[in-house]
Amino acid sequence: MGKTLSDRELEQALADIGERLPQATRDLWPAVRERIDRRRARRWWALGVPRGMLAPIAATLAILLVLTLALTPDLVARAAEILGLRGVQIFRVTATPSPMPTTGASVTFTGQRAASVEEASRIAGFPVREPAALGAPDEIYVDAAPVRVTLVYRSRQGLPATALPGISALVVEFRGRLDQAVVGKTAGPEAHLESVPLNGGVATWLSGQPHQFFYFDPNGNFQSETLRLAGNTLLWEEGGVTYRLEAQVTKEEAVRIASTFR
Amino acid sequence: MREPLGRTVVRGMRTDSLEGRPAEDAVLVERAQHGDTDAYGELVRRYQALATRTAYVITGTSAEAEDAAQDGFTKAYFALDRFRSGAPFRPWLLRIVANEAKNRRKALGRRPTVDLSVAEDRPSGDTALSPEAAALASERRELVLGALRKLREEDRLVIAYRYFLDLSEAEMAEALGVARGTVKSRLSRALVRLREVASGEVTRDG
Repeated sequence: MGKTLSDRELEQALADIGERLPQATRDLWPAVRERIDRRRARRWWALGVPRGMLAPIAATLAILLVLTLALTPDLVARAAEILGLRGVQIFRVTATPSPMPTTGASVTFTGQRAASVEEASRIAGFPVREPAALGAPDEIYVDAAPVRVTLVYRSRQGLPATALPGISALVVEFRGRLDQAVVGKTAGPEAHLESVPLNGGVATWLSGQPHQFFYFDPNGNFQSETLRLAGNTLLWEEGGVTYRLEAQVTKEEAVRIASTFR
Repeated sequence: MREPLGRTVVRGMRTDSLEGRPAEDAVLVERAQHGDTDAYGELVRRYQALATRTAYVITGTSAEAEDAAQDGFTKAYFALDRFRSGAPFRPWLLRIVANEAKNRRKALGRRPTVDLSVAEDRPSGDTALSPEAAALASERRELVLGALRKLREEDRLVIAYRYFLDLSEAEMAEALGVARGTVKSRLSRALVRLREVASGEVTRDG
């Protein structure tokens, strides 16, 4: 008893013990893999989906559920009650959008034809702006309900062709407020989302195959908007007006064009 | 007597936790998070020795240690989506494995002491020592090992992380789930107790 070790002796003894601890006798991976597979099989509902994917899937399902329930408002309230607790935002929409066919011989635009940006502004009731980088639009259409202005740019030098024959870019403007989180959740599974700085604010760059996005109209209602080209799209909001530029250009080029709006 | 020991140990501690390996760990973790099971297999193979040692220090038997390590690896796999990206993987894993080993011991209702044992003579080691010195080293080893067996799980673990697994201070903090500043005091406290038990001042974990 009473035998005292010096610091060095104690540390040396510990190091010696560390070196002599039993070595692993076998490769653990095959057994671990088996346990993982077994546990996964028990969780049949996960269907082998990585857990990181479950939240987006749940959010998508929740949105789909609400879209389905939109026709029965009393149920919506209940769904909001149930789902709201789980942190899922609930929005009421009037209709579910279906992707526009993007190929076809002729391209048609709805609404009243306007001769100039000034005329379009008068009909629409808000100042319509256009990108100087693209020159004057070839056609301008103003939809009535909801009010929406579409600037059509047919072939333009330096702009690649799009999915719509004879169209190289579209600019759509309407009164509405964007919520980036909402845009992100509703852009569709094929869409890739990115925030980009624009004119001191933030724009959303949608690439991949976005089909639609949602926004809040001036009355605060949740509205869906279908993208015509289902391609690269830059979305931004300025002064209560939502702008979108659809063209097969790079993010940088889209931002450059957008910065020339006047 | 006790104070210098704590200081010596702390001064010698490595604090560079993020250099080298973790960058590659992060890649494997990310691939595993996206469902690449083979990437996770690589991580298992990389850390199974460390994980088993960690579990062994707690369970005291090799068979249970390997079992605990396997369960730890399995749990960690299903917890990957909670893994903070950019964080070091190794201490995060060891924490899960250590918890698994502790639960196992608790479930078995074991007494505080463990059957910790080490290989007495390595085939190629100790050649530089004279027979007398080797005998003395062996005696000290036995003494310290006996003291380790009587220590609390927590004390054994902090000593093991430092001396058997060679973790850095930051990694120890992460693996123990404590603030970085707490690591030093925990380690010196554990060493004080180890010394007390080894010197026969305390015969049982108290």
